Amino acid sequence: MENISIKSSPETPYFPEVNFDSSTGICEIAGESYMEETYKFYLPLTTWIKEYISTIKKSIELNIKLIYLNTSSTKCILDILETLKDYEDDGGQVRVVWYYDKEDPDMIDEVEDFEAESGIKIELHELV
Amino acid sequence: MNIKTLLSYRGPFYIELISVFGSNVRSYTSEYSNANKKLFRIFIELAQNVSYYSEDFHLVNNESRIGVGELDLVEHESHFTFTTKNLVKKSDSKILIDRCNLINQSDQMELRQLKREQRLNSPGEKFGARIGLIQAVMLSQNKLQYNCEEINNEFAYLSLTVRIDKN
Repeated sequence: MENISIKSSPETPYFPEVNFDSSTGICEIAGESYMEETYKFYLPLTTWIKEYISTIKKSIELNIKLIYLNTSSTKCILDILETLKDYEDDGGQVRVVWYYDKEDPDMIDEVEDFEAESGIKIELHELV
Repeated sequence: MNIKTLLSYRGPFYIELISVFGSNVRSYTSEYSNANKKLFRIFIELAQNVSYYSEDFHLVNNESRIGVGELDLVEHESHFTFTTKNLVKKSDSKILIDRCNLINQSDQMELRQLKREQRLNSPGEKFGARIGLIQAVMLSQNKLQYNCEEINNEFAYLSLTVRIDKN
């Protein structure tokens, strides 16, 4: 199974940086996310996670370091969290960590909503 | 202080432009830490609403639909106002006005609940989450100002204004 590596670029700040590693199960999404046709960007990420869960079947860790995501992106992130919750309910080992800016209370509210809507536990860590 | 127009634009809302304008919004308001993040986030939501839903649009490569509309960012003594305007179908205008009224009648907790329900039930894909307006009002903590002006038998011009307090 191939890794996903998408580098950020100053010319396209609306795309986040993505690193999904199939050898460790560590997945990271960082930066900002407010591109057009959000679902086209996130579909390969969701597909990758589903394939990892069904074929590799090891522990998976999602680290989110998004300082901004638009509401379309929140829908896609919620889809990923729901997929991980299903895996956890089936016995899979899942860890989700959200790194946040301590001066950004709106983002903490957003993470609480993600927890409530997906049912998965999200660890909050301060961005350093 | 006189009111000061910080940004004014009319045309297609390409993501490349939205991104550059968004960067300007951040720099113009950087001295107001409370308003700065909120303004950028509200700006992106409302600008992308125009881009996704305006009935006046460009087709790029016969595929991507880029909405045409207007935006204005104005600085006042104690707050900023951000306004977008775009064409809507007259048949949709009542639904949109009802939606604005519902949002304005809801308190923060009700808006949060509405946002959660809407996001869970939205079809996703090209329709997005359809919670941009709710998010904008939740962030600003001020009522939405709106106006729908009939253009002809088929279309109306929808104007939305969000107020963001400086402190």
